[in-house]
Amino acid sequence: MSVLETFPDAPVPTEKELKARKNVLLQFVRFVALNLKMVAMINKAHH
Amino acid sequence: MARTVILGAGIAGHTAALHLRRMLGKEHEVVVVAPNSKWNWIPSNIWVGVGQMSVKQVTFPLAPIYKRKGIEFHQALGIEIHPEGSPTVKRPHVSVKYTDPARAGQVANLEYDFLINATGPKLNFGATPGLGPDGHTWSVCTAGHAVETAKAFEDVVAKLKAGQHQTLLIGMGHGTCTCQGAAFEYTFNVEHELVKEGVRDNADVIYITNENQLGDFGMDGMNFGHKDQIIPSQTFTESLFHERGVKAILSAHIEKVEPGVAFYEQVDGTKNSQAFDFAMLLPPFRGVDMKAFDANDNDITAEVFAPSGFMKVDADYTAKPYEEWKASDWPKTYQSVKYDNVWAAGIAFAPPHQMSRPRTSPNGTVIAPAPPRTGMPSGVIGRAVAQSIAERIKHGAQGRVHTASMADMGAACIASAGKGWRTGQAAAMTVFPIIPDKEKYGELGRDTKETYGEIGLSAHWMKVMLHYLFIYKAKARPFWYLIPE
Ligand SMILES: Cc1cc2nc3c(=O)[nH]c(=O)nc-3n(C[C@H](O)[C@H](O)[C@H](O)COP(=O)(O)OP(=O)(O)OC[C@H]3O[C@@H](n4cnc5c(N)ncnc54)[C@H](O)[C@@H]3O)c2cc1C
Repeated sequence: MSVLETFPDAPVPTEKELKARKNVLLQFVRFVALNLKMVAMINKAHH
Repeated sequence: MARTVILGAGIAGHTAALHLRRMLGKEHEVVVVAPNSKWNWIPSNIWVGVGQMSVKQVTFPLAPIYKRKGIEFHQALGIEIHPEGSPTVKRPHVSVKYTDPARAGQVANLEYDFLINATGPKLNFGATPGLGPDGHTWSVCTAGHAVETAKAFEDVVAKLKAGQHQTLLIGMGHGTCTCQGAAFEYTFNVEHELVKEGVRDNADVIYITNENQLGDFGMDGMNFGHKDQIIPSQTFTESLFHERGVKAILSAHIEKVEPGVAFYEQVDGTKNSQAFDFAMLLPPFRGVDMKAFDANDNDITAEVFAPSGFMKVDADYTAKPYEEWKASDWPKTYQSVKYDNVWAAGIAFAPPHQMSRPRTSPNGTVIAPAPPRTGMPSGVIGRAVAQSIAERIKHGAQGRVHTASMADMGAACIASAGKGWRTGQAAAMTVFPIIPDKEKYGELGRDTKETYGEIGLSAHWMKVMLHYLFIYKAKARPFWYLIPE
């Protein structure tokens, strides 16, 4: 039988963080930020 | 007049075909050879595999797009490359075998001036006895596989609802697999669905992987810059496993699968087995089965392709210890080592070395995640190769050679962790550059401002947006070319 690893020492998000991950307004801001980040990364690639 | 033949209509081949057609006048021919009649947005197969999308939502027929664009399409498999011609056909050509029902089994020779090999991976289920849909495990590698997997998953949910305990094993079906991101996504989508169905408590979700630690992703991990901190992808990933109660088996090579049991060896040489009620295990990849011949019909496959079956291009394939591998070993132009009018784009090129440290168990079993080659670089390489060919056609040898080294480009991986407009989650991970470069970026090898990880609903929206955006682009709808690869 397997020895299964769990990760008890890994940090877990706080209640506040978990709420923030689902907050529509905040996430909309993150969505825009993520898009800008991607565009910057694409532009940085030099071919 | 020049004729370019492209083998493969996946992310790399289809991108190359559309760009080439856009860049060249009608007097030049663009020909695509692919065995499937449909294009598939592979990343969304994850959602098909949990019953959250249909096959129709992730595929569309290629022939009408190619007809509209003036691209010649052959529904066939490329089987042989004759870059110098042959005793019977003098010009360079590829031999193809039709899969189109109207001509199934017929063989033809397609002549070319320029050739792009964008045939992607062969799903090598045969490497592990009992692996795959013809054995005892499921897959999400193709839309067809994913829909079958969704049915099996539905049965698991029904059994859980009936009060039966179920063990779900998801991950890597062999010690040399790549594509850990896809298995990670499927794991958390399954977990999310079990929670949604109210049956999570009665299920064990186990991730089995050849990675030495979580967050390796076949690239020896990443270090995410976050405000003033550096967060290793290991911590980032372990946190998600802890939060969602997913267990893991690390550093594992699955030796064989029997009905309901996977037998594996870990890097310390211990051998174990894991029972399951449902298993989705990815196969290792190798190059598709194509052969190459010279003008006298001598087999030159070993000169054109690496032993892995992938095509050898302008990389440094010299064997050297892991510590001595460099970013500059990676290819830039993707031109074949042997023929300057042949290129390999996307997964089809042979990588020069592993990114994740290869390990061997005391029994000699190699446990070495292969380097990931995700959609973004595949598309970028496809476009760069198309640009180089267009330049060659327009300006001859003086034409600009476009480059797309993975050591100069970043990649984004949006790993879904559950679908739903308000309840969805994904991990958005970006790396720059893909291949770490210690000479340029110091010990961590990457720009920690551009290497970033974040979990949230916004990343899920991003994943959904990319689904629609890339299908729009692949359908060559108006201004498709403004959407970056
Ligand atoms: C389940 C899953 C999820 C994934 N999710 C993501 C993700 O979220 N983000 C991401 O960036 N990447 C993801 N990937 C990886 C991504 O799908 C690949 O990087 C990408 O598809 C590679 O493009 P390609 O054109 O090289 O190969 P493919 O897209 O596989 O295309 C290969 C093409 O060649 C054709 N072909 C095969 N053999 C022959 C032959 N002999 N002759 C002619 N044609 C042939 C095939 O039919 C196909 O048309 C995922 C992969 C999987 C399996």
